[in-house]
Amino acid sequence: MSSFLVALAPLLVVGLGGLLLMLGEAFAHRERGGSGPSADLAIGSFVTLAAGAVVAFSLWLVGPENLGGAAGVAPFLIIDRFTLFFDIVLCVGGALAALLAGGYLPEHKLDRGEFYPLLIFSTLGAMVLASAGDLLSLFIGLETMSLGVYALVGFRRGSARSAEGAVKYFLLGSFAAALLLYGGAMLYGATGHTDLAGIGAALRGGTLTGADYGLAIVAMVLVLAGLAFKVSAVPFHMWTPDAYEGAPTPATSFMAVAVKSAAFATLLRVLVSAFGDPASMSWGTGWPPVVALLAVMTMTVANLVAGRQESVKRMLAYSSIAHAGYLLVAVVALMTQPGIAQGSILFYLLAYTVSTAGAFGALILCGSRGKEAVSYEDLAGIGHRHPVAAAAFALFLLSLTGVPPTAGFFAKLYVVRAAIGGGFLPLAILLLLNSVVAAYYYLRVLVYMYMREPAPGAPVAAPMRSGYVTAALLICAAGVMLLGLWPTRSLELAIDAALAAR
Amino acid sequence: MERYLPILLLFFVAAVVAGVIYAVAIFVGRIPKGGPVNLDKERPFECGNPSDGASTLRPTVKFYLTALVFVVFDIEAVMIYPWAVKFSALGWNGVATMGSFIALLVVALVYVWRKGALEWEK
Repeated sequence: MSSFLVALAPLLVVGLGGLLLMLGEAFAHRERGGSGPSADLAIGSFVTLAAGAVVAFSLWLVGPENLGGAAGVAPFLIIDRFTLFFDIVLCVGGALAALLAGGYLPEHKLDRGEFYPLLIFSTLGAMVLASAGDLLSLFIGLETMSLGVYALVGFRRGSARSAEGAVKYFLLGSFAAALLLYGGAMLYGATGHTDLAGIGAALRGGTLTGADYGLAIVAMVLVLAGLAFKVSAVPFHMWTPDAYEGAPTPATSFMAVAVKSAAFATLLRVLVSAFGDPASMSWGTGWPPVVALLAVMTMTVANLVAGRQESVKRMLAYSSIAHAGYLLVAVVALMTQPGIAQGSILFYLLAYTVSTAGAFGALILCGSRGKEAVSYEDLAGIGHRHPVAAAAFALFLLSLTGVPPTAGFFAKLYVVRAAIGGGFLPLAILLLLNSVVAAYYYLRVLVYMYMREPAPGAPVAAPMRSGYVTAALLICAAGVMLLGLWPTRSLELAIDAALAAR
Repeated sequence: MERYLPILLLFFVAAVVAGVIYAVAIFVGRIPKGGPVNLDKERPFECGNPSDGASTLRPTVKFYLTALVFVVFDIEAVMIYPWAVKFSALGWNGVATMGSFIALLVVALVYVWRKGALEWEK
């Protein structure tokens, strides 16, 4: 009875912490004026999510196979090293966003306490999504995560951009969820199972009649489309720049980091467990060519468009689309090299989490109330006026570019290695070419920060000061350097996690 | 796939029936060119009563909070009914599960209350 509570401990810790913070926020801060609720709530959220990560890591050390309760919640929730790895990544992403919000919200007069419970419950939904082994729990997790994020995007209530982003994200998100559900219904119709393993077994068994098999193929396409929306792969990316730009920057960071990681977790789970049979995994009759096409389009379109952006936040939004494309290359390599490809995806997500959260954090630090740094010109001369923020920004952008010895370099290296080892040389070459294109717009920020002075009379972004944002940047910088200098240990952990997801 | 054929037929029949009803209504209700204009027919349909009141009603936006809270607790009732039917079969496990579910909703109620969403006039 109680052993399954141990297996679910990371979810329970995060969920209960979110409830307590929600009640605390409702009871404590009734008075108007004075200091807002952010200070306490940011620390509370950080502690809650960090506790979630610590609990997940201790379960990792114990070994999920030694937990009696893990079998009790299967197949609705699968508690294995794969899940725990993602629990840690998602909690870190959420905790960093909470710290960023602690500095950003008061500075921009958005200091309303609802942000933090929404953030925590979205993280909880993302964790459920990452552990879901059944189409029903998958959908519940997806919606728990998305509903919170829709509200976070529209958090700047006075801003038209925020409202535009939220409406676009909500409408397209509901549409994608409907596609996913439709695909799920067809899978159930074709195979008689809603759990991913059961669907996989039915497909592998080859007992489906011709019509049912056709239904399963249509369902596969629908499910892929629904998930491609969540990872914002081209051509399902239209909402991304607007939603990312309209959202308050901590929420943008959360979307780019945690929502994307959770979507990749469930994409892997679905492709490996449900569509992992030899026919579905072959180039001729399965999903790999579809995903390869998505990967090529996502990388190329996102990088070409990102180079033309004048807003740094929008550029980072397109950059996050491009990174989804690099990850999809590794997803294709699942076909021939399942273990290595999955390990490289997990490592990439870890490296991407710290680099992207750091980049958004540095962008927050470069602006202040009414003078948010949005364009490249706003960043001109930041290198002299605020050397610490500029140095941090430079580090994270170099990591996103993939320059050694940062985390991003090894992340790309492992993905390329998986692609070449799996026999997808053209994809690997395209990935490298795209990285070169990407270097242009990442390094352009550096050029503006260090080599340009603001035009005389032009409004300059005044950097803000915040202990919370600085703390988040320190954590990210430590992560980027650690993963860059000692990548092997974390890669081994990532491959351990990947091998668990059988 | 043949099993789904009846559903396709159903769609087809529905489309035909709807189309026929429309066609007949248009045919029967048409006004001959230059014919007499019937004022009653030009009026927006209101159950045969003479139209009354302004056409642009403005419902208060405060309803949305009530609607949201209603949905939450309506779903609660839906979840509790099957539990009540299977109460003895589910035993203490069911009591614990349902208890935690209701406790979560009580937390939601406390939050809503504390935030002032239950007060009609602020």
